[in-house]
Amino acid sequence: MRGFTVLLQKEFREAWRSWKFLWIPLVFALLGMTDPLTNYYMMDILNAVGNLPEGFEMLMPELMPADLLYASIGQFQTIGLLVFMATFVGAVSKERASGMATLLYVRPISFGAYFMSKFVVMSTIGFVSILAGFAASVYYTVILFGTFEIGPLVASFITYFSWLLFVIAVTLMMSATFKTVVATTCAFAVIFIGQILDTLVGAFWTISPWKLPLYGVQLIRGTMEMPDYWWSLSLTLVITIICVSLGILTMKKNASTTKI
Amino acid sequence: MMEELAKVPWAVIAPLIVVQIILMIVALVDLRKIHATNGPKILWVFLIIFTNIVGTIAYFIVGRKQ
Amino acid sequence: MMTTLLQVTGLTKQFAERVVVDGIEFTLEKNTSTALIGPNGAGKTTTLSMLTGLLKPTSGSVNMLDGDLRANIGFLPQYPQFHPWLSALEFTEMTAKLNSVPARKATVEAQKTLEFVGLGNDLNKKIATFSGGMKQRLGISQAIVHKPKLLLLDEPVSALDPVGRREVLDLLKGLQQETTILYSTHILNDAEEMTDQLLFLRDGKLVEQGTLREVRQRFDEPNYVVEFSTEKEAQLFASQSELVGEARGSHVYIEIIDEKPSMQELLQHLSSCPSKIRKVERQTATLEEIFMKVARKI
Repeated sequence: MRGFTVLLQKEFREAWRSWKFLWIPLVFALLGMTDPLTNYYMMDILNAVGNLPEGFEMLMPELMPADLLYASIGQFQTIGLLVFMATFVGAVSKERASGMATLLYVRPISFGAYFMSKFVVMSTIGFVSILAGFAASVYYTVILFGTFEIGPLVASFITYFSWLLFVIAVTLMMSATFKTVVATTCAFAVIFIGQILDTLVGAFWTISPWKLPLYGVQLIRGTMEMPDYWWSLSLTLVITIICVSLGILTMKKNASTTKI
Repeated sequence: MMEELAKVPWAVIAPLIVVQIILMIVALVDLRKIHATNGPKILWVFLIIFTNIVGTIAYFIVGRKQ
Repeated sequence: MMTTLLQVTGLTKQFAERVVVDGIEFTLEKNTSTALIGPNGAGKTTTLSMLTGLLKPTSGSVNMLDGDLRANIGFLPQYPQFHPWLSALEFTEMTAKLNSVPARKATVEAQKTLEFVGLGNDLNKKIATFSGGMKQRLGISQAIVHKPKLLLLDEPVSALDPVGRREVLDLLKGLQQETTILYSTHILNDAEEMTDQLLFLRDGKLVEQGTLREVRQRFDEPNYVVEFSTEKEAQLFASQSELVGEARGSHVYIEIIDEKPSMQELLQHLSSCPSKIRKVERQTATLEEIFMKVARKI
């Protein structure tokens, strides 16, 4: 891992100076706030917006705290990941296309070190972001709806972070393998079309990385079949490691495509 | 109208607004300091201020030029 | 005593059907400067890319006889791109560390190098604010900060204005004594100024090589130029003399082939000439002219 700390410092400096450590967590915090707030004020909003007929009473389902967290995770899964992935999908490919990579690639660096430095910085920003998102969601849920047990909540958070590591590994691997446009398409396809497929026909299987966010919430609800959980978690970690390894290989292989 | 405003639970809404304002300020500060943007700077100023969070996110993802 | 630093044999690069670099061979001696010249599209950048190890040759090899190639080169691309959010010092320091300069030494070395290239007052400025000339200096500093044995420069001064070009050329001349330099250029004046060896590249082939003097001797076809006051006198001289002469304007150009005509013959003709002669000169070809000849040579 030659040069890992040097490259890590460079990546951190970049992320820090382009405000990524601030704005992405803030976006996740906003996403986390949205659902508990809108659900709580749904009646008021409807009253304020529309002229509801006399005697109209909407049957609002009784919402459990876990339901609101799940709704917030739904926000992270769509808008959150879209923002996160769009920000980072050029991490390797754009450096090649612009020629910024050239002055680093000619040096005796290890591509493993370079890839991992990017992975670590993305993971750190991802961690802070979902921490902000979870905190915002839980804060409002606790104020407006009810409390969580701390143990399952932490477990749910860690589960979601594992899923995020998978997303990061896929995104970076695509960036190392393809040009930015293709990388974006492929990474989005894997993550978002994967989610849709898993929702549509996912009933036929129980072990899948795309189910991890839901499983995290089921840990809170206490309805999780633990073997499914552990298998999914393990599978996700294995795929993550495979993606990282492939990413390092393709990054090295594509080094010659950097603009000179 | 004033009565309506008074009914708004500000204690609950405040963090939401504060976060949005911080985001907007960060984007504007960065926009002021940055060398070049994709598209005219003034356009981004308007987008950040008037389209709420969408303009801010768009600025950070595609607006900043490296 | 010359010692060979780099040996290039049969270096070839083919992209699909197109052969961009075609079996070129040369050696670089330690602490010499070599200019790689040729028209645009001759394969200069591709050759340099292969020497850096960034581009894999289709066939052929690049051997550094004194240590690992990758650890011992400094490279400046024609259009270097930097990470704009770093300061000049941070960037140079980083590149030094990536070339295994110990962390404590890296800061000092980076600072010294930046002062050497003339960026001493801009150490902590962000690269995003740099002008083209400043970037080129920074590019040189990142290429030399780790004291590489071989310095590869792709068109190091082509993009600069005359003042910047003069300054950067002087910088490079200062480095000539302590390191081996290979640089590409299509501007011959630069090559004339600092070069021990010339490599002419055309259509991916090495068509000429040697020292400046050797190449000169091979291609230099010197002329006598006789200048008259008027066009008429020139034409008269050209038609009357037995020498092969061509009148252009008020000048007559007489080609020297195998040292014929000799100075004596010429003097005889000149002394019998009735017109007033303003100037007689023996001209040697500039590198520019040699270059044109090589470029046209089939």
